Amino acid sequence: MINTLMLIDDENLFHLVFEDACSLLDIALSIEALDSSDEAARKFKEWFPDDPGHERPECVFVDLNIIGSSYDGIEMIRKINYEYGNGCVIGIISSSRDEVEIEKAKKVGAQFWIIKSDDIEPRLEEFREDYDGYLNKTAPFKVYK
Amino acid sequence: MELTKTDRDSLLKLAREKKVYLEGNIVKVISASKGDDEFKKYLDECRKRDTNARRKRLQVTKQVQEQNVDLEKANSENVKLMGDLKDSLDQTSKLKDAAEKAREIAEEAKDEALEDLEVMQKKTQFELISIIVKLALAVIVGVGMTTSALYAFVLYMGYDSKIIESTWSNLFGILLTNSFSIVGTIMGVKYATDNKEK
Repeated sequence: MINTLMLIDDENLFHLVFEDACSLLDIALSIEALDSSDEAARKFKEWFPDDPGHERPECVFVDLNIIGSSYDGIEMIRKINYEYGNGCVIGIISSSRDEVEIEKAKKVGAQFWIIKSDDIEPRLEEFREDYDGYLNKTAPFKVYK
Repeated sequence: MELTKTDRDSLLKLAREKKVYLEGNIVKVISASKGDDEFKKYLDECRKRDTNARRKRLQVTKQVQEQNVDLEKANSENVKLMGDLKDSLDQTSKLKDAAEKAREIAEEAKDEALEDLEVMQKKTQFELISIIVKLALAVIVGVGMTTSALYAFVLYMGYDSKIIESTWSNLFGILLTNSFSIVGTIMGVKYATDNKEK
C-alpha cells in the first residue's frame, strides 16, 4: 500500500471520489488532495531543496487540465521531475484520451495515464497491481483505459 | 501497530457504551495482539463500518458528480440557446430596419409619382385651356374680321348698310363680351390653381 499519495485536480468532488476509492481498494494510507498546480509547486519547492526525504509524497496523480492554475498536468510533471528532483511515482489522471497529450506526458517522465471516468475503481485496482513496477522504475509507461 | 492496554480498553469501552468506533485509514494500521479476539473483533467492526460509510459516500459523490455533469451540459445548452436567440433577435432587428428603410423609399417614390401625376394633369389642363383660348380667339378674330370686311365692302359700294351696321355692332359687342369672359375664366382658373399649390 502507498503511504502518502498526492492528487492535484481542480475538481473538488473528484477528490472525494478518489479518496474513497483509494481507501476502499487499499491503495493509499494518506492522501493529500490539492486543487491547484501552483499550490503543489509551492509545496514541492519547500520539500525538495533542503530535505529531499521529508514529507514528499510517494506517488503523485496529476490532472491534465487544472483550471485556474499556472501549469497544466504535463508542465507540473516536468517541473517535479526536472526542477524539484525526481523521486516519486508520477502520472496523469484525466478524462482525456488525446494521443498527442499522452505522448507529451510520456516525454516529460509520466509513468502512467489513468482515464478518469465514472467507474474509476477497476483502473485503480489495475494500477495498484502495477505499482511496485513503477516504484522500482521497471514498469513501462501504461495507459489505463 | 499495537495499542497500549489502556488505549485498547478505552476504545472498547467507547464502542460498548457510546457506539463510537474508529474510522478512516488509521483502522488499517492498528492491529490486535496475538490472542486478543475481542479487540480483533472490534477492529473488524471498525473496518466494516468504515468501508460501508465510504462505499455509501462514494456512491453519493458519484451521483452528485453525474448530476453536475448533466447540469453543466444543460447550462452549456442554455448558453448556446441564448446565443442563438440573441443572433435571431439581431437578425430580426436588422430585417426590421431594412423593411423600414424600404417603406421610406417606397413612400418617397409614391410622393414623387403623385407629384409627377399632378404636374402632368396641370400640364394637360393648361394645354387644353390654351387650345380652347386659341380656338376661341381665332373664331372671335375670324368672325370680327369677316363682319368688318362685309361692313367695309357695303360702305364702299354704297349699299344699304342699316342691317349690316346693326349686325356688326351687335356682333362686336357679343364678341368683346365673350373675349372678356374667356380671359376672365382663364384668369380665374389660374388664380385658383396657384392658391391650391400654396
